[in-house]
Amino acid sequence: MRSIDIHAHLTPQRFWRATENGGDWHSLRREQDARGRQIAIVGDRRGGLPPKARWTAEERLADMDSLGVDMHVLSPYSGFYNYGLDASVAAATSRDSNDEIAEMANAWPDRFAGLGTLPMQDVNAAIAELERIMTTMGFKGAMIDDKVNGKLLDEPEFLPFWKAAEQMGALILFHQGDGTLVDFRTDKFHLPNSIGNLADRTITFCSLVMGGVMDACPDLKICLSHGGGYTCYNIGRIDRGWQGAPDSPTKPPMPPSEYLRRFHYDCIVYTEESLRFLIDTVGADRVLFGTDWPYDMEFDWPVSWVLSLEKITQEEKDLILWKNLENLLGL
Amino acid sequence: MRSIDIHAHTFTPTMLKTMAAGQEWYGMKYTDADQRNIFVREGKIVNVHPKCRFTPEERVADMDQLGTEVQVIAIHTPVFGYHLSPADGLAQAREVNDDIAAFAKEAPTRFAGMATLPMQDVGAAIAELDRAVNTLGLKGAELDTVVNGKTWDEPEFLPFFKAAESMGATLFYHPQPQHNLMLERTAKYGLNNSVGVPVEDTLLVAALIYGGVMENCPDLKVCVAHGGGPACFGMGRMDRGWQVRSEARVNISRPPSYYQSRLYYDIVVMSERSLRFLIDQVGIERVVLGSDYPFVGWDPSPTGWLQSLESITQEEKDMILWKNLEKLLGIETTG
Repeated sequence: MRSIDIHAHLTPQRFWRATENGGDWHSLRREQDARGRQIAIVGDRRGGLPPKARWTAEERLADMDSLGVDMHVLSPYSGFYNYGLDASVAAATSRDSNDEIAEMANAWPDRFAGLGTLPMQDVNAAIAELERIMTTMGFKGAMIDDKVNGKLLDEPEFLPFWKAAEQMGALILFHQGDGTLVDFRTDKFHLPNSIGNLADRTITFCSLVMGGVMDACPDLKICLSHGGGYTCYNIGRIDRGWQGAPDSPTKPPMPPSEYLRRFHYDCIVYTEESLRFLIDTVGADRVLFGTDWPYDMEFDWPVSWVLSLEKITQEEKDLILWKNLENLLGL
Repeated sequence: MRSIDIHAHTFTPTMLKTMAAGQEWYGMKYTDADQRNIFVREGKIVNVHPKCRFTPEERVADMDQLGTEVQVIAIHTPVFGYHLSPADGLAQAREVNDDIAAFAKEAPTRFAGMATLPMQDVGAAIAELDRAVNTLGLKGAELDTVVNGKTWDEPEFLPFFKAAESMGATLFYHPQPQHNLMLERTAKYGLNNSVGVPVEDTLLVAALIYGGVMENCPDLKVCVAHGGGPACFGMGRMDRGWQVRSEARVNISRPPSYYQSRLYYDIVVMSERSLRFLIDQVGIERVVLGSDYPFVGWDPSPTGWLQSLESITQEEKDMILWKNLEKLLGIETTG
């Protein structure tokens, strides 16, 4: 039994080292709060980092061994997208972060693969960095936010990025960074995460389909994290919205439900019933093992959780745990 | 067909008459000579569906076509007056509630009514709910998912919930179909309706659960439109948030999923698989007929669609169609 994790973040050691004695990493800084918690300071935003975010590659590997995870497809810590900072800062942190992921993948090629981070506020720079990591460093793709400084990814300015990603065969993993829709309503009860992440992923599905990106780029590979949010459960209402939408140059010729199988989804839906629903809606060949390591919303004991599910067949478990990702990423 | 539809929108006669005379109705007026759109307030214009103008007679004839025995009617949510001054809000609510009650009395075996309330003034809202339920005979009130930016977990609303609980009033929650949270992100592709609406429903479920309302008011009767959005599908993540974040536990002693079966949910989820999932998660006693009349084109009708589903048993269909709402609202159907 193998297992490959598509949703495992890395806070680069370059950040930890550069900020060790009050220094900065391309303007990003770090503080410790009264309880000893590490806080990353990015522009005017502050984000708490869990203890595991500081772990070295060796410590991470020991944890993966304990969890039964063979491979992390590493992606950056989403607090370091840096889309709101100067584009040159985001380009520098992206290069640094991606170089570190490449080092880990080179040192432990059977344990780590890489998804890069990109300076999406500068589309040309993002394409250049994607090309660098895909063609010279063996990356599998990149992780990006559902929006770039408030803009959704269906804006025409991003079409060259989608064309480039499609042509390079890069997998694009969507994951919120700079807040979610729910932040506009409330900051209570962890709802910007527990509902907002799922809302944002649903918006991304809709905007890429309704905005014509999926039609313009038929070979594009996309993974929606957190099981694609509410996409699969709400697809009936999304189809109704498509029926009622006025004709436009980008309006897709088929209802959005016909595009469900153009996407991949990680399995972070927390309950057996919701995972069963996701599989029944999008197909077991579209669901990927993911854990959200090392954050508090991650799965506890993710491999044994999947293995323990009674409503999922062994064949489906194999697809989810490793076969789909082997095929998709050539691992 | 023996059935009660809890989710049915209308406009009210006084409102229509006032605006047809070219006068403002609580700041609202038609934008065009054809009376196709209503200006509600700056930045908010609402389309008028012709069936929302139906007289009681016309509406009953349409219900006969659809096979709906009873509709629980309420004023279309976009003209809710939470943005008005407290005095105007109360005056609007009283007028609307008198109209809804009078409309329902025109065909008392075919209609029941829900009030609207001036939620910008909690004391006035409690008094008007009392009048609506105990004097006018309405079944409860229809409410927006947010009150002038405030979520329903705010402590100021707790006396309202306690009052509704003691009156046995049913609260039916329904978000703004167009002017909702989604506009903060995008106005494209009608996502405010297709995604914004169910996200609003989910946030409402979360506010009532995490806010401790369902724990503090165990007998409170709440029904959420659109099946509560995808709240049931995303409940695992809400439970995880409760496990790992202390701020998610401040008001409740058990995980959110424990409370989800204390609410009722209508069937406007737009797929058989999602309805089956909803029933399996919240329990068949908690799922009720709602049609979103007249805005959703059901195939062939709300009751006909439900009857056609193969994964729902006949006993479950009967509970959804009339048994659960007979009990909840104290209405008798005859078929």
